[in-house]
Order: sequence, then C-alpha cells, then structure tokens
Amino acid sequence: MPELSYREAVRDALSTAMRQDDDVFVMGEDIAEMGGSMGVTHGMLEEFGPERVRNTPISEMALAGTAIGAAMQGMRPVAEIMYEDFLTLAAEQVVNQAAKARYMSGGQLTVPVVFRTQGGAGWSPGAQHAQQLEAWFVHIPGLKVVFASTPEDVRGLLWSSIYDDNPVVFFEHRTLYGIKGNVPEKIEPIPIGKARIHREGEDVTVIATGRLVHESLRAAEEAEKEGISVEVVDPRTLQPLDEETLVTSVKKTNRAVVAHEAVTRMGFGSEVASVLQYQAFDWLDAPIERVGAKFAPLPFAPVMEQFVVPHAEDVLAAIKRTVQRGD
Amino acid sequence: MATEVKLPRLGQGMESGTIVKWLKSEGDSVEKGEPLYELDTDKVTQEVEAEASGVLLRIAIPEGEVEVGRTIAFIGVPGDQLPNKPAEEAPAAAAEAPKQEEKKEAPTQAAAPAQPAPSTNGSTTNGRIKASPLARRIARERGVELSQIRGTGPDGRIVAEDVERAEAQPPAAAPVAQAVPAGEVESRPLSNVRKTIARRLTHAWTVPAFQLTVDADMTRANELVARQRELYPDVRITVTDVLTKVCAQALMRHRDMNVQYAEDALLVFPNADVGIAVAAPQGLVVPVVRGAERLTIAQIAAVRADLVGRARESKLRANDLDGGTFTISNLGMYDVDQFIAVLNPPQASILAVGSTREQVVPVDGELLVLPLMTMTLTCDHRAVDGATGAEFLRSIKQFLEDPGLAL
Repeated sequence: MPELSYREAVRDALSTAMRQDDDVFVMGEDIAEMGGSMGVTHGMLEEFGPERVRNTPISEMALAGTAIGAAMQGMRPVAEIMYEDFLTLAAEQVVNQAAKARYMSGGQLTVPVVFRTQGGAGWSPGAQHAQQLEAWFVHIPGLKVVFASTPEDVRGLLWSSIYDDNPVVFFEHRTLYGIKGNVPEKIEPIPIGKARIHREGEDVTVIATGRLVHESLRAAEEAEKEGISVEVVDPRTLQPLDEETLVTSVKKTNRAVVAHEAVTRMGFGSEVASVLQYQAFDWLDAPIERVGAKFAPLPFAPVMEQFVVPHAEDVLAAIKRTVQRGD
Repeated sequence: MATEVKLPRLGQGMESGTIVKWLKSEGDSVEKGEPLYELDTDKVTQEVEAEASGVLLRIAIPEGEVEVGRTIAFIGVPGDQLPNKPAEEAPAAAAEAPKQEEKKEAPTQAAAPAQPAPSTNGSTTNGRIKASPLARRIARERGVELSQIRGTGPDGRIVAEDVERAEAQPPAAAPVAQAVPAGEVESRPLSNVRKTIARRLTHAWTVPAFQLTVDADMTRANELVARQRELYPDVRITVTDVLTKVCAQALMRHRDMNVQYAEDALLVFPNADVGIAVAAPQGLVVPVVRGAERLTIAQIAAVRADLVGRARESKLRANDLDGGTFTISNLGMYDVDQFIAVLNPPQASILAVGSTREQVVPVDGELLVLPLMTMTLTCDHRAVDGATGAEFLRSIKQFLEDPGLAL
C-alpha cells in the first residue's frame, strides 16, 4: 500500500480522473503555474496543459458559474475555491443555480460539478480566511457536502464526487494537507453517504469531522488511560448523512459527543445531536455534548486563534462530562 | 401573559440557592420591589424582591435547592395561561412538542410517571424524577420503580447504571421517620452558610500562617471615640470604627499588606476594603466596608451600622460580602482578652481584637494604670513576611496610641 499525503491524495484523484476521462478538468484562481494556494494542483499544468488546468480571474461568482455551465453541458468540472470563506462570493451560483437546476428543470439538466475548497484555523490566516462554513451548505437541499479527514478518504471521496451527477461542495482542511496515510494501490471509490468508524469503543461515541477527527482520536487515547472506552466516528459526508451508522453506534455506547472546528452555535454537530436524540432517545444515558469553536471571529494572534478553536482536551472534557457522576 | 420568576444569580459563582420560605402565598397580590421570598445562598440568607407587579399565580417551587435561572413562580393577572404543572402531566405529554417551561428545565427530563415520588429522593424535583431516557427505558422494561432509586449522575440524575444496581439489590426498606428520644444526638442539616464557613475555614487551615501580637494603649483612641460621639450624636461610633479607619490608613501605608496570594501572582489592591466579622443568627458573616481609607470615622460608623444591622436580620446581599482585602474580628465586647483568628481566604491577613482592660504598666520607672487592648494579627505567609506584618502592626498600634500620626 503506497503512502500519500492528504495533498497528494487530492492531486492523485484529480489527475487519475483527468487521465482516464476527457470530461474532467480543473479550474480556479492561481491553480495553474502556481499550483494553487495550497499546492494541491502543483505539476498538473505540465501534464494536462492550460485547456484542462485553467486559471480564472479573481471572481468566485464567475468561476462557479462557468463550472456550473460546463457541467450542464456534460463536462465534470472541479472548481477550486481558494478559501471556503470565498464561497460566500459564489453563493448565488452554488445555492441558487447548481443546487436547483436539476429540480427546476424536471431532471432535464444535471450539474455534475465539484466545488473543492479548504479552510480552517492554523497558521493565523485571520478572521476572513479560516472559517469552517460547511453547515451553511448542508442546509441547502440539492447539494452534497463532503468533508474528508484522511488521505485515503479524501482520495476515494473526491473520486466519487467527481463522478456523482449532483453538485458536491468538497471541504478540505488546511492543516491536514501534510498528514500522511496509506492508500490502496488503485483508487477505490468511497460511497458518498457512508460514515467511517475510526476506532471502536463501548462507553461514548465521538462523532467528529475534519481536523477534529484527529483531535478526537487523541482524546480517545487519553480517555482510554482513565478507563473510558471511546468510539470515534467520522461521517465523512455531511449530506447525505449516514444516520444509521451514527445511531447504531450511540445505541451501543449510550452517550455521544459531536465535535467540529466550526462554531458550536448552529453547527453541523447540532443537527447530528438532533438526529441522535430523536432516533436514539431511549438509549441516551447523558445529554449529548457539543464541541466546537467559541462564538467569535477567528483572531489573527496565534495564541488567541488556538484559544478559540477546539482541541483534543476539549473533546476529552466533553467525553468526561458524558460519563460524569454527581458529587 | 404571566411573568416567570426565575432564581437570580446574586453573586459571582452562585450556581444555586435554597428557597427558605415564601413571604407571599398563591393568590396574594404583589408589588414590584416587595420582598417575595427568602433565599439561602452559600453566602447569605436574604429576602428577594419581586421583579413584577401582579398576583402571585403559582409558586412552582415551594422550598429547597434550585439552580440559578429556574422558574420558581409566576406573577400575572388571574386567568393568565400558565404552563402545565409538571406533576400533573400524563406520561404521554413527552410525545408532544415541549412547552416553554419544560425547555428551560433539564432537557433529559421526560415526563415523570404519574405516581408521586417521595420527596426524600435526591433525583426528584417538584414531583418529577430526573432520569436519563435510557434509565427510563430499562426501568420500564424490568419493572423497576424509578422513585425508589437514588441517582448518581450530574444533579442526581438517575442513569442506567443506577437502575441496574437497584435491580440487583433487594428494595431497601422505606425510611421511617422516627421521633428522636430525649438525650439522643440531634442531627441538624447544615445551612449553606454553615457549609461555606466549613469549606472556607478548612481551606484557610491549609495556608501557612503566622501570628503577631501587640498591646495598644487605648487612652487617646477612647478620647477620639468620645469626641466623635459628641460631634456626631446621630451615629453610634464605636472602637471598631476607629479600628477600621486606623487599619485602612495602615493598609495604605503598607501596600505590601493589602494583598492576596493568587498562585501565580501577588494581587496588590488599590483600596482598603475592610471586612468586619459579624455574628449573625445563621453564622459568621463578614460584610465589607469599601474604600475605608476615604471615609471619615462617622461615615464608617454609618456604613458599619447598616451592614451589621442587616447581617443580624439576614438581609445582606451577596455584594455586601464580596471582595474584602482585610478583616477585623473584634470580640472585645465579649470580654475576651485576646485570641487568634483564622484567615479569611483569599485575604492575606486578619486582625483579632480583644477587650480593652485596665492594666498596671511601668512607664519611665513609674507604674501607670492604662487601658490596654491586645491585638493579634494572623498573616498568610505565602503573601506576607514577618517583618512586613510587624511593621504594619506597629503602625496600627501607633495610630491608636497617637491618632494624629494616621493623618
């Protein structure tokens, strides 16, 4: 099994699809010569040329609209939005056009486009370049939303997203690009809508996305030392959501923590908590705990940035609250 | 629409309070600002005023411990729609959309089984049993009575493990109230004030402390008290007021004494906020005379009289007790010659003051009879060293013996 970084895994999915399929192409700001702000498309211009690795003007609205148009015409474009914060500039196209076209045309149109984007705290990008906005898009019927946390998952899920006939908003996390992991020799598509159980446990289920998957796995190791057995589950696709896997896990452990880097208020975790309390109500032995960023714009100062976003110790504290006993 | 009366947060760190009694009955009319109920917090017992006018429609929580923010009563006009009493809800109510009041309660509280729970059960609040949904299901499936189980979860919530444990054990005999025969030990439940005293003074005992004792000739201080009384006949000025002023001046001269040890730093305070230990009916309380260095003796006397008066009537507010930087404990009126006070954490020092008594004292080869008062200063050695404390105590002695030096 080869080892790839998360960044290389994204590139491998893009390049492999482009090699086997002329309909697939990438476009975005500074993705050609520069290789993208995170270096994901580095080297792809040389292999595929400027027709298929397209630099665009600094207009997310135009970029998204162009990709949607190409998708309606039968291409499978992958548009890179440099920072997910900039999805706000493309929101009209993504929310009102891409998500609605298939429905409003009575199925005459499909929009097989992928909006790849990245974000998250780390390295002090500041309040306008580090948000986690996945919840905004999970709220839109007509969009699929993916948030992968490992090299294997990001490659298999990007592959499935490219070949899905619906628009997919595909979130990557900035601090994960460097992590390495084993991937199958040949790309194995990972079905959209299937959660992954990273670690099995008996006492509490932590449902985490993105960077918090890794923080939760660290927290689980710490909890283990204190005799608390933690199951860590990554939904991987936020829409559609693999409710069955999550509910089954919580019915086994009777306790749940939801964890993500986005602010807790109205976060994706709140929806998960709602699903769990309804479907596993009679199996819950403690209130569902939520872990997320404090309700504040992300500070530029590194110590303050790290203060605002959650870490393993926050997940651990939440785990302990679920198994807590009164005085 | 009726106004919900919620348990207020009366001081930093207050999480809950104990309702002692209601001063109004259901159906009574209430004016905004009128005392409504008596509340026992970990610091004080005080009357809480109504925040709205109208009729006291319902007392939701007649007495007992309540967390901050809980709805404890409703004020409105007769006929106002009130949320159903939780105890009257049928179990089926759990399936309905949660009502306003229920949402504010612990979200895991599903409707309680219809049978009343004994009030001795720690998991019962106002007829509802706190139990997790899983605990309820297990109890239902196995025929275990939740009302007979004591919860070990947060806030006494019954969790699954409690039900399993209860099922494994034969049901405990119901507790029977027994009259206490004469001569037997009486067990009184601790009041919150008593608990706080116990906790804080036990903590104080872990602080490395030292004591310094000194006698002061009170001749001129007594003259000062007499003169002040002449000038301000409306205020009853006492030695404690002179002591408060003198200590405040000394604290300003010796800033190193007006401090608190805070693990990673020494906090040095800008004002002399002097606490005065008062024996109140519910136990020891220490209300604070703020900025005593800026007050005249007569002003201090007025503030002190108000605080002590309210302390004796259990009407102190939480902010009367917060934030002192130094404490005076005067037992002189009880004819105590001298004593050692226990620190009042997080303060760094406390002055224990005995009675003033006539003593024969050799002065310049002659024997004089002088009114002497013995004071013992207890210091937190983490914050203050012996010499610092000694200099401070010497200033207090000098100021009492020669009040002009305090200027």
